Amino acid sequence: MKENHFKYIGRPVPRMDAPEKVTGTLKYMTDYHFEQMVWGKVLRSKYPYARIKSINTSKAESLPGVVCVLTHKDIPGFNGFGIVVPDQPVLARDVVRCTGDAVALVAAETKEIAEHAISLIEVDYERLNPVTDAEFAMSSNAPSLHENGNIHSHVIIKNGNMDTAFEEADVILENTFYSPRQMHAFIETEGGWGIQEPDGMLTIRCPGQYAYRDRLQIARALAMNPARIRVISHPIGGAFGGKDEITVQIYLALLALHSGGRPVKIHLSREESVIAGIKRHPFKVEMKTAAKKDGTLLANQVRAVADTGAYASLGGAVIALAIEHCCGPYKIPNVDLEGFCVYTNNGISGAFRGFGVNQVCAAIETHMDMIAEKLGMDPIELRKKNAYEKGERSSIGHELKTSVGTLKTLETAETCELWKNREMYKKNISEPWKKRGIGIATSFHAVGMGIGLPDYGAATIELLPDGTFKVGVGCEDIGGGNSTVYAQVAAELLNCDIEKITVIQGDTAETLDSGTVTASRSTYTGGKAIAAAVPHMIRVLTEAASAQHRVEPENILIGENEYYAMTKNGEQVSTYEKLYAYLHENRLSTKVEGHFMLPKEKEELPQSGGAPHHLYGYLTHLALVEVDTLTGETEVLRVVSIPDAGQVLNPQGLEGQAEGGAVMGIGYTLYEDVLMDGGYHQTANFTNYIIPTIRETPVIETFPVESTEETGPFGAKGIGEVVMIPIIAAIMNAIYDAAGVRIMHLPATPERIYKALKSRDVRQ
Amino acid sequence: MKTIDFFVNGTEVSVTCSPSKTLLDVLREDAGLTGSKECCGKGECGSCTVSMNGLPVCSCLVLAGQVHGENVITVEGIGTPENMDPVQQAFMDEGATQCGYCTPGLIVSARSYLNSIGHLPGLDEIKQALGGNLCRCTGYTKILKAVQTAAQSQLTFRDL
Repeated sequence: MKENHFKYIGRPVPRMDAPEKVTGTLKYMTDYHFEQMVWGKVLRSKYPYARIKSINTSKAESLPGVVCVLTHKDIPGFNGFGIVVPDQPVLARDVVRCTGDAVALVAAETKEIAEHAISLIEVDYERLNPVTDAEFAMSSNAPSLHENGNIHSHVIIKNGNMDTAFEEADVILENTFYSPRQMHAFIETEGGWGIQEPDGMLTIRCPGQYAYRDRLQIARALAMNPARIRVISHPIGGAFGGKDEITVQIYLALLALHSGGRPVKIHLSREESVIAGIKRHPFKVEMKTAAKKDGTLLANQVRAVADTGAYASLGGAVIALAIEHCCGPYKIPNVDLEGFCVYTNNGISGAFRGFGVNQVCAAIETHMDMIAEKLGMDPIELRKKNAYEKGERSSIGHELKTSVGTLKTLETAETCELWKNREMYKKNISEPWKKRGIGIATSFHAVGMGIGLPDYGAATIELLPDGTFKVGVGCEDIGGGNSTVYAQVAAELLNCDIEKITVIQGDTAETLDSGTVTASRSTYTGGKAIAAAVPHMIRVLTEAASAQHRVEPENILIGENEYYAMTKNGEQVSTYEKLYAYLHENRLSTKVEGHFMLPKEKEELPQSGGAPHHLYGYLTHLALVEVDTLTGETEVLRVVSIPDAGQVLNPQGLEGQAEGGAVMGIGYTLYEDVLMDGGYHQTANFTNYIIPTIRETPVIETFPVESTEETGPFGAKGIGEVVMIPIIAAIMNAIYDAAGVRIMHLPATPERIYKALKSRDVRQ
Repeated sequence: MKTIDFFVNGTEVSVTCSPSKTLLDVLREDAGLTGSKECCGKGECGSCTVSMNGLPVCSCLVLAGQVHGENVITVEGIGTPENMDPVQQAFMDEGATQCGYCTPGLIVSARSYLNSIGHLPGLDEIKQALGGNLCRCTGYTKILKAVQTAAQSQLTFRDL
């Protein structure tokens, strides 16, 4: 173990919010209940694609106990939302494009009355044939779901010369991969409450991943000055990208304007959440990869199609990130990559942990495994041979200027116990008809937003009368534990006990805009913003101590939890309380700010949609599985997660991410898929959407490699997404190692594995 | 409407509501105890788990009329931030909570299970006992560790 001379950094500091969370005393926004409260409900579209001929709300309005019924006519501002392109109507006017589309809103005295009122709203629809296949949507035969056609975005990256590359190749692999429509399945469904204050101000309390942007989208729909809207977006009962887009914030705001100053609450049922909430984009990935006999990768050709459903949300950015990452962390000299983000009537897809990389990593890492097998090479050796290092050029042709941990993670994988003894583990089957296998995969994920998007962090530190510090960062804690890391960074740099730090997050009235909690960026960005604010606080405290004791600032020493003044009469102590009192008496500010701009690449690859990024986190996964050859069932028995997160700020938090990501990846690979038929969700709730339970949890070991990222807070970088990426291909490769079948259509359900086993047996 | 009298965390409460209102809604809306959460509303996820006469139940599947005269313990009755139960302490120490929304249900399930046994449970036993509680953040590894730690400290305390 290396020596750690820090008091908090690199130590497993327990979560600051744990006492409230384990005792059930923490109030989530959906926990609030008021005497005078009214309940809001949303009428969703009956059909996946239809024209609205008329909406009649009179029966609903005359129902006793109904406070208001709202339609598109009641939207004072712009009737649309969407993070990049606001193409989703707040309340549909003339057309509905998915069953999640909102058509009307009701506020009523009780939930039951609101539900009844919703059922009394008469909408006359003219049904249209839904577009349910992304490839068909791209064809000229498909009806246009939006003004500019069904292709929302098309990204291209080319590098090298493809023609000669395939000619020189000794091995060429060409396959098509299909991936599921994964649901975030956060435990707290979308909800919250809103109120119009007596002075006309709106307060919206709704879990989200970027309070300032939610405020902007609300203000745009309401044609209201954003300064008159307060959005509180923290705490959150899970998000994973699924609360990045607007969920119910605008509905709450509209209803609050019409409920006479009474608080209005919406809390979606799981069934409504499944229909209305965004999902992970299902992808079709066609990949052709070439290599030389010695294992050197020569070329990669990729065509990926992402089904974004009825609206764009972040679909354009998802396909761009997928294409940027679809060659893995390798240096492939010749690539021809293109991706399409396509509209259909299949619900809505958007941001989800991994952001498009999960889908393409499954393809390239399966191909790496197949190439290794064809060439008789060790799969780790093949990856090591092709992995880029810092200073080298990636497959998309840009030079890596920040830390790259791939080789270190692969070397750790090679020497870990599971890999070294893999032959022994494979033999150790639990039943004669079961087979075991071990798979490996490696991947990476960008940290930050990429070129062309604002990317900054800001923090405040305020000294309070009781001698504690209030640290404010806009970034919410969506479960990952950034609040504790923020406290660690502040306490370490201020040289005070962590108990003296309170962190506030996700509140437009109390915190500065720090950007989103997405893109694996919040620890990195928020940590750096705090680090930028601390010197200002130290200057304020030093100057106060110097004035208080009438000595020059250079005679002030920073002690633990106090400041010392070297005076003629010896050392004098200034506690934080005393320093606050001095500042307060002299009308001096006790609050400072720190700002941080994320470093970016200077030149965007043309047509890439924002590539390349400047910074990436890396990770290698190993998985041990057992496949039941009689039923096709797969059990993941053991996982080794080897992240390069830069320097680890909180090992307990990192393990938490690694373990949670691994299990979410197991669910994605083996069980999870929101099934749709004709634009209707066939999956309704956890009854038929199966996520891993504690019984499916394997033994998970986490071995961080700790490369230092110079630009990060204490050398750290982001990790929140890559923790669930290579596990997918690692399991796919392990299934092959065990049972000899390649499953390229995920999830690898028992049915698919069983069928693959049967058709293999027939072939043999 | 019906008046229902029952015990919550040792205190007698009287609620007048429709007998078909769920126990979960009664706890959250009438008793002001919001530790128990609704996630699926149909007994699939365990987020609303409370102990009823010592047995863990999904409070979204229990109707108000069924709890008349019964004894209900919610997460709030297990410990407080100032005086945590060993299970709660272990969840905190081991890092077994992240977003925290599933945590109250898990705490109640784990406490009920540990109350029902007198030995140090194996991993498979804990997995069996907590199989009805979904968590999407943690990957369960630290939850398993926390329950083991709590069981150990409970046994040590009992043997003193």
